[in-house]
Amino acid sequence: MNTRHRAVGAVLAVGVLSALTACASGAGTDSAGGGSSSLSIYAWAGEIPDSVISGFEKETGITVTVDTFDSNETMISKLAAGNSGYDIVEPSQYAVQLLVDRNLVAQIDKSKLEGFDNLAEKFVDPSFDPDNAHAIPWAWGTTGILYNQACTGKEITGWADMWDPAYSGKIYMLDNMLSAYIAGLQVEGLSATTTSQDDIEKATQKLIEQKPLLAGYNSQNYADLVGSGDACIAEAYSGTTAAKAVMANPDVHYIIPEEGGTLWTDSFSVVEGTSNTDAAYKWLNYTLRPEVAALLTDDASLASTNAGALELVKDQSLVSNPAIYAPADSLTKSEFIVDPGAALSYFQDGWTRLRAS
Amino acid sequence: MDRIISWIAGAVFVFLYIPIAAVIVYSFNASEVGYRFDGLTLRWYAELFGDRMLGDALRTSLVVGLAAAVLSTIIGLLSAYGLVRFRVRGRAVFLAAILIPLIVPEIVLGVSLLTIFSSAGIPTGYATLVLGHVVITLPLSTLVLVGAMSTLDPSLGEAAADLGASPWQTFARVILPLLRPSLMAAFLLSFATSFSNIVVSTFTSGVGTTTLPLRIYSTLRTGLTPELNALGTLLVLATLGLILVVGVSQMRRILAGPPTPAA
Amino acid sequence: MTTFTQTRRAQTEPPRIRRPSAVAGYLLLLPATAVIVVLVIVPTLVILRDSFAISDPLGGTLGGFTLDNYAKLLDPVYAKTLGYSLGMAALNAIVCVVVGYIVAYFIATRSARTQPVLLVLVIIPFLTDFLVRTFAWITLLGSGGPLIPLLRAVGIDATSLVPSQLAVTLSLLYAFLPVAVFPIYASLRAVDPALREAASDLGATAVQTHLRVFIPLAAPGIVSAVVLTFVPTLGVFVIPVLLGGGKDPLVGNLIVTLFTEFRNEPLGAALSMVVLALMLLTIVVAALLARLRTSRKAS
Repeated sequence: MNTRHRAVGAVLAVGVLSALTACASGAGTDSAGGGSSSLSIYAWAGEIPDSVISGFEKETGITVTVDTFDSNETMISKLAAGNSGYDIVEPSQYAVQLLVDRNLVAQIDKSKLEGFDNLAEKFVDPSFDPDNAHAIPWAWGTTGILYNQACTGKEITGWADMWDPAYSGKIYMLDNMLSAYIAGLQVEGLSATTTSQDDIEKATQKLIEQKPLLAGYNSQNYADLVGSGDACIAEAYSGTTAAKAVMANPDVHYIIPEEGGTLWTDSFSVVEGTSNTDAAYKWLNYTLRPEVAALLTDDASLASTNAGALELVKDQSLVSNPAIYAPADSLTKSEFIVDPGAALSYFQDGWTRLRAS
Repeated sequence: MDRIISWIAGAVFVFLYIPIAAVIVYSFNASEVGYRFDGLTLRWYAELFGDRMLGDALRTSLVVGLAAAVLSTIIGLLSAYGLVRFRVRGRAVFLAAILIPLIVPEIVLGVSLLTIFSSAGIPTGYATLVLGHVVITLPLSTLVLVGAMSTLDPSLGEAAADLGASPWQTFARVILPLLRPSLMAAFLLSFATSFSNIVVSTFTSGVGTTTLPLRIYSTLRTGLTPELNALGTLLVLATLGLILVVGVSQMRRILAGPPTPAA
Repeated sequence: MTTFTQTRRAQTEPPRIRRPSAVAGYLLLLPATAVIVVLVIVPTLVILRDSFAISDPLGGTLGGFTLDNYAKLLDPVYAKTLGYSLGMAALNAIVCVVVGYIVAYFIATRSARTQPVLLVLVIIPFLTDFLVRTFAWITLLGSGGPLIPLLRAVGIDATSLVPSQLAVTLSLLYAFLPVAVFPIYASLRAVDPALREAASDLGATAVQTHLRVFIPLAAPGIVSAVVLTFVPTLGVFVIPVLLGGGKDPLVGNLIVTLFTEFRNEPLGAALSMVVLALMLLTIVVAALLARLRTSRKAS
């Protein structure tokens, strides 16, 4: 009896643990001969599909290590401490400027790039990175509204609906200062990129007005809450989670609010001081290929910045899914959120007061 | 009264396992979203075995957890013994200092540890991870063992000395066996704390040494995938397997210690 | 009977045995001291220095010396945040220690063979990832889970339990239970079980036995459990957000926000110092009170 217990136990424990650890990591070290180079990438989880990594490794023989971060700020802190060991980093658009100001990313040598012309016009010379001097955009999306029509009872058109007392207790805003202010500012007809203290104060008042109606501030599982009907309407980012929610439940819709909404972009930058520049540029060039960029949509349900990728996407329903690719006509009033610089303190004061109200 | 206690304790154990049962059930959920059950599938297990990043993270967490828990328990034991059994001064200051990692918010601790490591030129990696985890688990193991040590009858040590035992023998053959269950408690608690730590790990991990909870936390923005339920299920099974391997009776023999003194 | 009285006296009075020389004691404390000085004291000094530094608008500090950060903390907003956090921490500590004591007592009074099994059973849920468990709770307590339909079936008109204070309390208990159980168990385990028989022989009821014998004897473990649950709860930020909606201002969230979105490390450091000072003060006061009680009892 005892021996049988032990046998079963041994098989369970050893089998499970070794299968998970050895087998899975073994799958990664299938480097081609002479693969002495390695590449370390620090990126958002889920934005670099395995297919892209393994394709790159097979072609170049370079071993890729991808570590993931949960927020731009964490990433910046780690880089700022020095000697992070990363070669490529994937900042969001407002983080690019912060990294540049602190000399944490290197200037991109355009002469070493191939395929830069594949980028869609919107992402060439953007406001957050003039002349693409420091970042090559990879994925993009929008900040908009995810709602459940069975719960709201009608179509939602804009931020104003998130102040509707009819949905009291079933509204969620993003737990992110700048994102929440997008709604607060745009609903008052103000620009989401304003640095005026008066504008910001107006938005703060509007947000304080909204707080009693809210179920909460949530950046993690709002999609599930909207999907299950626990929430009627939530401020949301487009991308993998929104797409999943929309595809799983026909009542769930993602829209860009009529007041404007905003665009976000995640780009690749080369870390300042890295010695691995060869491998880094190989990576940039690889990901600029349309067929590789198309994998971002097919395998990660994200919108690619690559113009040539659109027609190469295998599952075209993803391209017409507004939770991934926002229709061009809805983006006329959308702006890129950039870092507010010195105006940050106005936002901070407002946000602290809002959260304590 | 004893019956009430048993009932409540039983209810608590059930309470502890309700979400575990949910995790196991949902690991077979064919639906991609958590709020609906769409039928059974093994798809998430297949995805899990192919996910090399998760496998690497699991291995890192296990190694770091074991190392940190072992170090923490040993140091905690030495400290507990020194604090309780010897005439040292500044006991309160020592304990207060040990508690600091618990009080200081993890992000602050993490950032300052990273500052120190990079000033000292120590590259982030396994070493810094283990050091960071020892810092946050030391208060736990020390307090657990100080508590156990304080409750032990101090006259036992004296009795052993009277009977001719050397200090080492007193420690190894009288104190240690009595402390074994508490040592196990300290070790398990330290391991579990290290295994689930997110914030300090964020700042003390290096390239390729991402821990499991860190990897999972970073997927929050893009959404937790159901394969994590499969991972949770397998971890529970692996631990249960471990118990069976070590053997219940074996454990009892190791941990029961000497029979308690009869009246 | 003799053993009982001797043990009882020895455990409630300051030990009158000769303590071996202090030197060996200091040596034993050396490893922990090394860890503490290098990895705790130095970081704390760094934080202290940063709390007086000028904030770099780009993030990090510009060095220098200023009292601005502490002055900013006088704003009532921060007092409100601290108040909420202390309340939540106190509630969690009470719930955890009460439940923890019951579970620890239960385990400590099982047979020697069962105890390690039960201990491991307590810890196994914590080897699944914290977020996975938390999301399991969200599913279970939400309208997509089994609880709401169950409640409705019995006639209680329940909508989702997420977000709610109850969900937060349950999740916090769930997260901190082992931390409460293990120290109390470690102390109880070391208590002579013959005491229980002796107490009942002397006519004490079960409640009295707990109140007058076990709890005082397991006091070090219970105090540890209180500290280990109260203090870290001050810094939690994930559970209140995921299960409570994140509308209440909490110190944990605020400090993380200060370090990240606000890029104001000096203010975050200052707030951390305030929390640290507050907690150390509480612990010192509690320790003094405890010593006062013991010395009063002994006289």
